[in-house]
Amino acid sequence: MITVVSGLPRSGTSMMMQILQAGGLPLLCDQERPADENNPRGYFEYQKVRRLAADNSWLAEAEGHAIKVVSQLLYHLPRQFEYCIVFMRRDLTEVIRSQEQMLASRQVESGLEQQAMREHFTRHLDALEIWMSKQPNMRVFPCDFSRMIADPARLAPAISAFLGILLDPERMASAIDPTLYRQKAK
Amino acid sequence: MFEPKVKIDRALYQTLTKASQIAGYSSVDEFIVHVLEKAAAEVEQAQSEDEVRKRLQGLGYIE
Repeated sequence: MITVVSGLPRSGTSMMMQILQAGGLPLLCDQERPADENNPRGYFEYQKVRRLAADNSWLAEAEGHAIKVVSQLLYHLPRQFEYCIVFMRRDLTEVIRSQEQMLASRQVESGLEQQAMREHFTRHLDALEIWMSKQPNMRVFPCDFSRMIADPARLAPAISAFLGILLDPERMASAIDPTLYRQKAK
Repeated sequence: MFEPKVKIDRALYQTLTKASQIAGYSSVDEFIVHVLEKAAAEVEQAQSEDEVRKRLQGLGYIE
């Protein structure tokens, strides 16, 4: 079984990777993308994931680990593995604002207006949710970013139970740094 | 209520009428509306996935 942490960029996927690691689950990641002002604790990415659409032959490496796979690349996960997906959901206004900040720091134009981007993300997430529900080799745990920060003591055991792995809920909860919740919609 | 009309070729209309009957629609209008809704949704979906892909590339999450 492979644990996948997924969602849109800036929806809390790096935070969830830290939580799982603190709980005792090994991660499959490298240091290719170092920590920066957008993710001061690091990205917890595995660079081969970026090319998942072209090459998924390496995925057996992820057995028994947690790996971060951005939402759109879930469609490219090979069918021969079983996946438990912790799917991060966050207010889209916060996601888009945070992405725009990150794009600016990378000196990349954000392109579309926020409302247009929101519509595209909504359509993307809706279609993905339907698709995932039809995959016999995928189970999904939707995890709300703000709830995870507000009530980690409650959600950490639920994630552990979903994964069917005995993780340390206290350590998981202590991995959360609420000061990094910087883009709030309200 | 604004009800736009679209002109289509007579032969195509006959083809659509036949297809709507085979597919079990109550009218050719219902069939055409359904097919067009589906086609438009597919185009919108493809556009959204393309915009999401461009955003993810800009953020460095995919190649």
